[in-house]
Amino acid sequence: MKTIAVSVRVFPGRKKQLIKLPARSKVAGLLKTLDLNPQTVVVRCNGKIVVEEERLKSGDMVEIIHIVTGG
Amino acid sequence: MLKCSFCGRRAVYDRRYAGAALCDRCLIKSVEKRFRRAIAEHKLVSPGERIVAAVSGGKDSVACLHLLAGYCSQRKSEVVALTIDEGVKGYRDHSLPIVEENAELLGVEHFVVSFKQAFGASLDRIVRLARTRKTGLNSCTYCGVMRRSLLNQAARELRADKLATAHNLDDEVQAIMLNYVRSDLSRLHRLGPIYPSREGFVPRIKPMREIPEKESALYAILKELNIHLAVCPYAGGIHIEIRDFLNSLEENHPNSKFMILRMFERLKPKISQTIPEFEMRSCAECGEPTSAEICKTCELLGQLGLAKQGKTLI
Repeated sequence: MKTIAVSVRVFPGRKKQLIKLPARSKVAGLLKTLDLNPQTVVVRCNGKIVVEEERLKSGDMVEIIHIVTGG
Repeated sequence: MLKCSFCGRRAVYDRRYAGAALCDRCLIKSVEKRFRRAIAEHKLVSPGERIVAAVSGGKDSVACLHLLAGYCSQRKSEVVALTIDEGVKGYRDHSLPIVEENAELLGVEHFVVSFKQAFGASLDRIVRLARTRKTGLNSCTYCGVMRRSLLNQAARELRADKLATAHNLDDEVQAIMLNYVRSDLSRLHRLGPIYPSREGFVPRIKPMREIPEKESALYAILKELNIHLAVCPYAGGIHIEIRDFLNSLEENHPNSKFMILRMFERLKPKISQTIPEFEMRSCAECGEPTSAEICKTCELLGQLGLAKQGKTLI
């Protein structure tokens, strides 16, 4: 099966990591892999805010911003 | 590419509960429109009023401050920012400068009241004392009660006509569910877009109440507002479980949160009929309004060997 590799950084706090996904994966698939509920995050891909249906490709720089912070 | 349902541009948000997608511009316009509609529908702000906005520096309160400042400037009302510094090291000390910066950008006065000033102890110290004395109460109990008490007292000293908090849809629905789980009718009765004036209490308004948390976050990010995005180190307990449950429900069954809110609004008049009116008195220790002999803040402080410092806050 073909795979893609995307660079992912989760805010706040976590370091950048390289995540391998099946080719033609969407943002929704990435969030599921990371066990993140889309209700709780905003996702930027290559600097632009994207919806969960956005397809990813190898080399994409993804930032996942946790918006549910409490307190 | 998912396109905006209103203008056809690239969508940044899939508003599944409404079957619509929104681009950045339409999302911003939609949040602003909901904010104004909440104020108009529930008469939350009247012309010439002085609104004290509780601002922690988080995405919701910063967004609320910007929205209120815009709203008030067009309607001859005034907004003032108020921050309660609980004294949580590594958390609140990072958000205070963010609030200051936003207030300065908007030309809004900013006041800070600290737990240390009011109670002689930071929340960090209060939590340590609670653990040592084994009170069995979690940090959110102390923080919530004391912060609300200070917000009211400071807003009153600032001659506020209304105190605005940035509770969003998610906060409101979580509170409904939490009070349902606790079988607390009197707390359910107090939820709503406005909690009216009672002696000693500044009326409290929630203009963000029908804005989902994710939309509030997108608004702040798209407007490039300077916000504090960190998790409170004391966050925990049943609130988190209810929050996670509701987010899971919404993801699998869009519109659940709004349905819970609407059902509550239908039930609320019936709930209110069952709650007896209680007499407001002054706390025997600090003089603040309370339904009991001693207010909850003084009760909690007393258990820790602490007391209010007895000073005005502003």
